[in-house]
Amino acid sequence: MGKNLRVKSARAAKDMSQKDLAEAVGVARQTMNAIEKGDYNPSIKLCIAICKVLGKTLDQLFWEGEDHEK
Amino acid sequence: MRNKDGLDEMQKGRRDTIGNQMFMFMFYALLIDSGLYGAGVRWLNYPANVMVIISACISIYLVRLIALHAYHPPKTQNRSVITLIIAIIVSIALAIALSMGHIPEKTNDNSGIILFIVSAAGLLGILIAAVIKKATSRKDEEDE
Repeated sequence: MGKNLRVKSARAAKDMSQKDLAEAVGVARQTMNAIEKGDYNPSIKLCIAICKVLGKTLDQLFWEGEDHEK
Repeated sequence: MRNKDGLDEMQKGRRDTIGNQMFMFMFYALLIDSGLYGAGVRWLNYPANVMVIISACISIYLVRLIALHAYHPPKTQNRSVITLIIAIIVSIALAIALSMGHIPEKTNDNSGIILFIVSAAGLLGILIAAVIKKATSRKDEEDE
């Protein structure tokens, strides 16, 4: 599983650190770090929480098709 | 995202995995030990041998949990390591002070060695975990 750069860039666009995002969705900073590095597959519940905080859709952040890479 | 322990889903998954592994490790270690005991190999008198195996397993379990950030819930992860180190130093100083005091009588049930092993394993585990935690959190910050 590769790195999830879309979550990282969406977070950076919102000017949030990993810690801020982790606190907003109620997980540890290490969990957010693992998601961005592709070391951990989050549950759909956590994906939705991340999307809501970052103001994106599930497709934009987590779908692995070419249409949603940008 | 948190369960009743306050751990998030990744922490809970890691804790479950490590717990299963250490449980199986402890089972096989006790099985081998009982086999050796039956064959006449006695590396430590009963029940100290069982306590050593259980203490070792629980220490490894705790060290691995702390090293993988699966021990503390997200809310309590900002505690200082200095507090932990001070607690360890005070515990060691207290243990030394008590060992220099008057010992009332000797017993034959290995209770002294069991207490010593459990305390030593606990302190060593905490110390190793503190060092690993410090190193891994520094690496995580570099990755961010």
